Amino acid sequence: MNRAVGQPVPLVDGIEKVTGKALYTADLDSRDALVGRILRAPVSHGRITHIDTSAAEALPGVVAIVTGDDCALTYGVIPIAMNEYPMARDRMRYRGEPIAAVAAVDAGTAQAALDLIDVEIEELPAVYTAAQSRAPDAPQLHDNKPGNLEREVHHTFGNVADGFAASDLVREEVFDCAEVNHAQMEPHAALAEYDAVRDRLTLHSVTQVPFYVHLMLARCLEMDSSQIRVVKPFVGGGFGARTETLNFEIIAALLARKAGGKVMMRLTREETFLTHRGRPNTQVRLKLGMTEAGGITAVECEAVMAGGGYAGYGLVTILYAGALLHGIYDVPNVKYDGYRVYTNQPPCGAMRGHGTVDVRHAFECLLDRMARELELDPFAVRRANLLSAPMFTANGLMVNSYGLGECLDKVENASGWAGRKGKLGPGRGLGMACSHYVSGAAKPVHWTGEPHAVVSMKLDFDGSVTVLTGASDIGQGSSTIVALAASEILGIPLARIRVVTNDSVITPKDNGSYSSRVTFMVGNAAIDAAKALREKLVAAAAKMLEVAPEDVECEGETFFLRGSSQSELTFHGVAIAALAAEGTITVKGTFSTPVEAQGGGHRGGAVGSTMGFSYGAQVVEVAVDPDTAQISIEKVWAALDCGFAINPLAVEGQIEGSVWMGMGQGLCEETHYIGGLPAHANLTDYRFPTIAESPPIDVQIVESIDPLGPFGAKEAGEGALSGFPPALANAVADALGLDLNFLPLTPDRVQEALTKLKRANRRKEAAG
Amino acid sequence: MSEVLPKFQLLEPGTVDEAVANLRDNPGALPCAGGTDLIVRLRKGLSETGTLVDLNGVGELRRVTAPNGGLRIGAGVTLAELEATPALASYPAILQAVATVAGPTHRETATLGGNLCLDTRCVYYNQSHWWRKSNGFCLKYLGNICHVAPKGSRCRAAFSGDIAPAVMVHDAWIEIAGPEGLRKVPLSEFYREDGADHLCLERDEIVIAVQLPAPGPVSAYRKVRLRGAVDFPLAGVAVACLPRPKGTRFLIAVTGTNSMPVMVELSETLEKDDDAGAFFSKLEKQVQKSVSPQRTGTLAPHYRRLAVAALARRMAQDML
Repeated sequence: MNRAVGQPVPLVDGIEKVTGKALYTADLDSRDALVGRILRAPVSHGRITHIDTSAAEALPGVVAIVTGDDCALTYGVIPIAMNEYPMARDRMRYRGEPIAAVAAVDAGTAQAALDLIDVEIEELPAVYTAAQSRAPDAPQLHDNKPGNLEREVHHTFGNVADGFAASDLVREEVFDCAEVNHAQMEPHAALAEYDAVRDRLTLHSVTQVPFYVHLMLARCLEMDSSQIRVVKPFVGGGFGARTETLNFEIIAALLARKAGGKVMMRLTREETFLTHRGRPNTQVRLKLGMTEAGGITAVECEAVMAGGGYAGYGLVTILYAGALLHGIYDVPNVKYDGYRVYTNQPPCGAMRGHGTVDVRHAFECLLDRMARELELDPFAVRRANLLSAPMFTANGLMVNSYGLGECLDKVENASGWAGRKGKLGPGRGLGMACSHYVSGAAKPVHWTGEPHAVVSMKLDFDGSVTVLTGASDIGQGSSTIVALAASEILGIPLARIRVVTNDSVITPKDNGSYSSRVTFMVGNAAIDAAKALREKLVAAAAKMLEVAPEDVECEGETFFLRGSSQSELTFHGVAIAALAAEGTITVKGTFSTPVEAQGGGHRGGAVGSTMGFSYGAQVVEVAVDPDTAQISIEKVWAALDCGFAINPLAVEGQIEGSVWMGMGQGLCEETHYIGGLPAHANLTDYRFPTIAESPPIDVQIVESIDPLGPFGAKEAGEGALSGFPPALANAVADALGLDLNFLPLTPDRVQEALTKLKRANRRKEAAG
Repeated sequence: MSEVLPKFQLLEPGTVDEAVANLRDNPGALPCAGGTDLIVRLRKGLSETGTLVDLNGVGELRRVTAPNGGLRIGAGVTLAELEATPALASYPAILQAVATVAGPTHRETATLGGNLCLDTRCVYYNQSHWWRKSNGFCLKYLGNICHVAPKGSRCRAAFSGDIAPAVMVHDAWIEIAGPEGLRKVPLSEFYREDGADHLCLERDEIVIAVQLPAPGPVSAYRKVRLRGAVDFPLAGVAVACLPRPKGTRFLIAVTGTNSMPVMVELSETLEKDDDAGAFFSKLEKQVQKSVSPQRTGTLAPHYRRLAVAALARRMAQDML
């Protein structure tokens, strides 16, 4: 019987957040700090011929200026693809790329100093789209990447030709999904302090991955990593924007060292958008073969991503897009060709649903259209292709638990699909789609062989348990998961537990919050640590009771001899006894991924590999305004198989958040550049939905109990996102009889498509 | 300047006369009420001034009175206060327009006068100093080319206030105070079609009140926008319907499409025996023809024209 896990509880750090007591990076004490500001590239592509900082240096109040000359080392999250300098050296490849930075006594002085830095630039021709980038005569962004190709992927599993030959219907479509950005609530910020006497650096930052930031600081500042301390304060959302070291973090550190002091770097919203790392514009060409019964016989997919000026996570994104064609349906024959190309725009990166969203959109839209042609219900088509766990996919991904069928049942029933589909009247429609996502990458970015996660626990004289973890709670609730795991295993209330996180001098190293790894890996490590602690307590209790440890029972906070209630011991009493033997107790738990979860042996096979996939199904109901072509989302039904809901309240929140973010991408979010200048770099022009048009979301949790997951849990924070855009497009198709091959479905585009459809219908009538 | 609020002195007049004197005595001074438009512009380096004249302490700007069966609303009344003003229920277009401005927190501090005097907006203009400098600035500020219409000679930035068209279809006048005293103009004559200079305000003048005649017409305001809150209008339309013995007359004003709010010229009235369908189709066409949305935002101008005209038609039809 679970006592702690499986019950809805508010996040353990929720009180600080809602009372305003939580300190985010920009809130940290900066009274004695200099103000850091960044000079940014005014052109999309250019060569720096000369930089003169002397006038800026002469300005009273300016303490330090750094340029590309201050760091000759590249950084990047993928060890084989680090091609970005913190500040441009020689070449700048997107408008907004840092060129230099100033630390001054106040913001006005820092800004005035930036205006005094004289930069001579030889402008070079630029490319803004994948097509321009791939043209034969295109300007080349990186000398070692001919054709502007960051990475191409060619994977074939099974026999696609045979698969198409065995099908009754083959259809091919091209989808164009706009670039989107995380638009997390908290703008970027970093506080860097350099201790010149001891040659030590402390950085506080908004990061999701303090460990990677630590590594890159050591590399770029050429400091011994033991001399660096990285702290992650409260973070106001990440969504992937902060899953790699970002230029301003290194720049803040470089400035602090040069100034010999403390530098606060608060980026504006525009600068936060310029740092980007969002989901790239992706063109997906998808061809599916299907039997009359709806079985998928073959998949052929080409994805082209316009990735921006630098590599970032690019090669992982393009690999994910192909790998996650697998793992959701039974698709034995799959051919994938992926092209990640450079463009003169801010670098793209990881974003919630990394790599899979745009490809899943194409897949689920095409499935629906083929179902229509074959006169099959959309639910029936999905059910015709379900997997049966445990199994391995054609590309070697392990599927141990699989609740997609149950997700389908839940949303079909809850939405009243059978009775309502096609009967809602003009301009209204229902659509559905499925999705999945990994619970952490089974092979991390930096493969060192050490455990994927480590959690420490400390028990001391006061009878409190302190959990130490490097896992970054960025609002998703990971600290609460760790606390709940300890509470469950130790049988103690949450009140006795404190979670200390993200200070490299205190907490164990953690790879960070990305690819939905934390609940699965850190959750398992927390269980492991709690078990180790429990073992010590039971041993102490056994000694006190003068019985064998295996005869000790523990009920809540009471220890006693099995079958007897004669001598009950309290938790604190047992703790004191345990401490008597060795003093303050510290234990450690770890988690490592099993080898069979680590993917196929083909090149890039580690990407997509995981211990367990979450599965989701959702139904979206829309109404389209006939005059303005505006889509309103009337209601959403979303079911997610998260294995087991350790904290159902947080799971529900994560599903709602995923649906909402998918809604943004589906309806209205997109970046928009004018000659490489972002026209969207503020929250009036980057239009994520407001609560005013957010629909009621009916959330259904499905628990397939994964054999490897902590208490059976899998990820819950990303899987529901990629179902929304296709469910929306399918609902619009139902409402308007219009198949749309683009995202987002903004009213201007929808209206243009409607006009074209009407024209085509008139022509057809005239001809017929 | 990137988001750094420049230094300025803040003057706090207690009367309209003092406010006008403050403006006159400090060349380049700007009046500031709610600040939801101006402060953002100052942070983005879109205005430079050494002096702000804070109008919040001017009590006479914050009064609502009801002279001659009409309504006189001080320019300093906040939009949240307007939403809670019962008398405004007789002017539904205005009430609806007020409720669609930005978000609830903006409306707590934003004022009627501020919304009527809202700066025009453009994707090439409402950007940071770095952005505009990288793009060679523009005709509206510091530059000499309009990136929206490079061959033209004027700024195309779009007037984006929601309230002006709603007030216009109710035949409002505005009161203006300046060094020469008070004057009064119909709101429809307060604007000109020039994005860089769209307000017919003389030096050191401030808008002090809006005068509405006694309520009469049924009216409504709707705006085309992607989101249910926050967004400026991609286009917005106010419609008033005046049933008359000789036929029903419609007044239509549009915002968001031009550098000024546009009154649509509708010469015809809808008579009893008219073909209503044909009348409204013509009305829709007239709205389409009267507005000229430009590439001042990221959504297709053609869409803004079609959508606002279709909305106007639907609103007019629904009033019958």
